[in-house]
Amino acid sequence: MARRAKTVHSFFWGIPAFLWQTLFFYVPLCFLLATSFVKRVPSTKISHFSLEHYAALLDPIYMVILARSLTLAAITVCSCLLIAYPVAYFLALRVQRFKTILFALLILPFWTNFLLLVYAWYFLLENNGLINTMLLKFGFISAPIHMMNTYGAVCCGMLYCYLPFMLLPLYSTFERFDERLLEASRDLGATGWQTFTRVMLPLTLPGIKTGALLVFIPAFGEFVIPSLLGGDKSMYIGSVITHYFLTVRNVSLGSAFTCFSALFLIFFLFILFMAHALLNREQKNA
Amino acid sequence: MKTIHLKDISKSFEGDVILDDFSLTVPAGKFFALLGPSGCGKTTVLRLIGGFETPDYGTIMLGDKNITKVPIYKRRISTVFQNYALFPHMNVFNNVAYSLQLKNLDKERIKERVLKVLRAVRLESHMYKSIKQLSGGQQQRVALARAITNEPDVLLLDEPLAALDLKLREQMLIELIDLQETLKTTFVYVTHDQTEALTVADQMAILNHDGKIEQIGTPQQIYEFPASSFVATFVGKMNLFKGTLQTAGESPCVDVPGLGLFQIYISARYQWMQEGAHVVMGMRPEKIWMEKKKEEKFSNVMAGTVEAIVYHGPATQYNVRLKNDQMVQVFEQNEEHFPKEKIDYDDHVYLHWQKENAFLLER
Repeated sequence: MARRAKTVHSFFWGIPAFLWQTLFFYVPLCFLLATSFVKRVPSTKISHFSLEHYAALLDPIYMVILARSLTLAAITVCSCLLIAYPVAYFLALRVQRFKTILFALLILPFWTNFLLLVYAWYFLLENNGLINTMLLKFGFISAPIHMMNTYGAVCCGMLYCYLPFMLLPLYSTFERFDERLLEASRDLGATGWQTFTRVMLPLTLPGIKTGALLVFIPAFGEFVIPSLLGGDKSMYIGSVITHYFLTVRNVSLGSAFTCFSALFLIFFLFILFMAHALLNREQKNA
Repeated sequence: MKTIHLKDISKSFEGDVILDDFSLTVPAGKFFALLGPSGCGKTTVLRLIGGFETPDYGTIMLGDKNITKVPIYKRRISTVFQNYALFPHMNVFNNVAYSLQLKNLDKERIKERVLKVLRAVRLESHMYKSIKQLSGGQQQRVALARAITNEPDVLLLDEPLAALDLKLREQMLIELIDLQETLKTTFVYVTHDQTEALTVADQMAILNHDGKIEQIGTPQQIYEFPASSFVATFVGKMNLFKGTLQTAGESPCVDVPGLGLFQIYISARYQWMQEGAHVVMGMRPEKIWMEKKKEEKFSNVMAGTVEAIVYHGPATQYNVRLKNDQMVQVFEQNEEHFPKEKIDYDDHVYLHWQKENAFLLER
């Protein structure tokens, strides 16, 4: 009886969240899906079912755009991991004093407006920006280096904005990490590298996975940073969607592309998941 | 099986001197216990031998090889950690096989060796369990097995039984002794628990609060002939009486103010002591014979009243107040179900002992 009462009780408190989620996520999602299958004939103003928009997506240009977004997301994940991993290790296990302050300083970008962060990079990187001015002043270079509107600038911006998403899960993983395991490993004859690959890496893998996922999913749909720091040269998933919805106003094609890229993302993550599961099983058998 | 020599070792952490001019020899193939109060530096000694720390000064020799600068992973020394430090992402087998897998040995050979070690600690049926599925005692055994798979020259044990309950601890102590006798490896066992040290050790060293060695010897030597009042009170229970040395006729005596003269046996170590020297007389509580009436066959006797009785089961502890207000502890074996003479609170009693059962210490 008590158990049942508790279930009912928790269900009651779940209602607002459920309603919210339904109204503002599932219902629009259904609309989106429906719209992507609808063809509206302008002359007669009659709509009918059609696969035309999905057929249009077969154009290889869309694959190029997906691949481009995927590459940028992958680069962002890797660079964030490369920087956040050692930082999280030192912050959680090596630093004794000022730990909280240092951590707060690293998370600070998280609290600042996103656009502000990107524009800050703009002022750093432009031809008469801070970096070029300083380098010119001290005579390291004779003409300003072209940094804005390059792929490097985009990567810098991405790394900077997504770093906290990687740092937070890694930090909390290292906080719970028992350092004595490293000593035990060394004691049993493992070199530093062996200790890293056999003890530290496997034990921090959950943190890496969480961080990678948290960075990857939003980075995959990112288009503001590439367009502000990279110039409007190349299209990304996000820019294509805004283009169809807001500029061309071809809502159906936009919906089809949105659904398609979402499916692509799910499919990609599924493959990663399966590869991981297979690898695990192989390790267990060995 | 190798001797460990620590010579003139100094070690400090952030200006805090832990060990100063510390020297110690651990004999080869022996079960050696390092006993001392918390924070005396005994764990630091262990970590220096293991290579977790390097000494500021001094040398560490393993056999005739200087290992002071040898990095930790190249030392043939293994450690059993206080919290076991087992790898949580590996099962029992992989934990135990870890040191062998690092060397990329043949899989069949690894399996053979791991099985042998797991059999020695009676865990072969738990081989493929994860660490979390094991009880504390089993985890302790895995830690032990993991440390000996590699056949180290020395096994270091840092309070390995601290987390176990009493029954399990007693059982593990016996198993450790058996294991050491089979392996003939040099064991260095660090503990603050005197019972553990007395039980397992062939040889033991007592460290005081300043990280200085007070005495080295067999457990019997340490317990029966402590070299200082620190050792006397730290290992086991002890009654101490301050007094001056006197010679009454042939036999030496100690004059304890307010209590009188007591005959005493002087060991070879203290033969040099002069009459009138300020000394301490020590007596173990179990070596005192307590009766309600005075017995004549003992060389020494003192009178007092019983103030507290603590029943332990096999023995009962009595706290007796003497006429100079000093308290004395007495252990009496509970040899019979129905003792002939029951001693109660406030009873007037006589404490007897033979002079050989009291000993002399410097003050």
